[in-house]
Amino acid sequence: MQNAKDTFYLTLQQRLTALNPARTIVIRGQRRPGTLVTENEMPTAQVPLDAFRLAWTALSIDRTGALPLVTMQCEIAYVTDGTHALAGMDRGRLLAAMDAELVTALAQTPQSAPKLNCTATDSGVAPTPMQTSIFWSAPTFNAAKTTAERLERTATIDVFAYQEAGEL
Amino acid sequence: MPDALPSTNAAARTADTLLRATGGRTVLLRMPMPASPLASEQLGLATPYFQDVPLAPVVFRKARAASVAGKPIPPELLVSATIVELTVGTLDYASASLLFAEALGVVIDDELFAIESAATEQAFGKPYLYRLTLRTPQAQIV
Repeated sequence: MQNAKDTFYLTLQQRLTALNPARTIVIRGQRRPGTLVTENEMPTAQVPLDAFRLAWTALSIDRTGALPLVTMQCEIAYVTDGTHALAGMDRGRLLAAMDAELVTALAQTPQSAPKLNCTATDSGVAPTPMQTSIFWSAPTFNAAKTTAERLERTATIDVFAYQEAGEL
Repeated sequence: MPDALPSTNAAARTADTLLRATGGRTVLLRMPMPASPLASEQLGLATPYFQDVPLAPVVFRKARAASVAGKPIPPELLVSATIVELTVGTLDYASASLLFAEALGVVIDDELFAIESAATEQAFGKPYLYRLTLRTPQAQIV
């Protein structure tokens, strides 16, 4: 399951970066693409703006097939305050731009990716492809939430993966 | 002609004296080292290194006079603005709020408390005290 989560994150990050390389965030002094997995970051009350935050929520396993089919729900949240130079009056446009980037990245073909084993990346080894692929559903967008000058939206996607033999 | 306004540092010096006189102690602010550019950290495979920076004088209090019945009171840490200014400069952060936002927490008697919020007390536009609201570690909540 972890391999599927890692693969989806890396695939989405790669596609979003290709669409808009200027969308970056600075985390602990390091500039990186504006996509992160909340559970992989240090717990903090600070919400990164203008970035996609992935959170893994529901999980179900269908064992009727030859290989167990795992369905994981991924919530992608993003917030914007607009830009200071425009007094935040462009926040609607910025949210719409993020909506469009996410839709485009998820709708690109193929809507699947070879599952990667990323466990060795800690020692500098590139992720290795596995036997099966992951694939995902079309996103469901929730209504935008407004808190003072902040606009926030959450999109939900189901990510599917076959659990290979010996895979954790 | 003498200054009509008191020195802007007077409030900070008074706060430092009061913090020392009311059980002022030293705690450790746990700061993460800069992030690694490797993907392994983004995937949760690698953890950053941390450094513990001493903060003194501070006052740690778990109870307060004003409380709402039935609601637990979060512990609070009163920190000298003098040491916060020094730490912000030493660690090269842009502001105190950024310093506290990036901190993993505060180590008090070998226990790590997460920082929920940081507020500033000011006199003449200059901070003289920082008030940190802490969160008790989940493992200790019974």
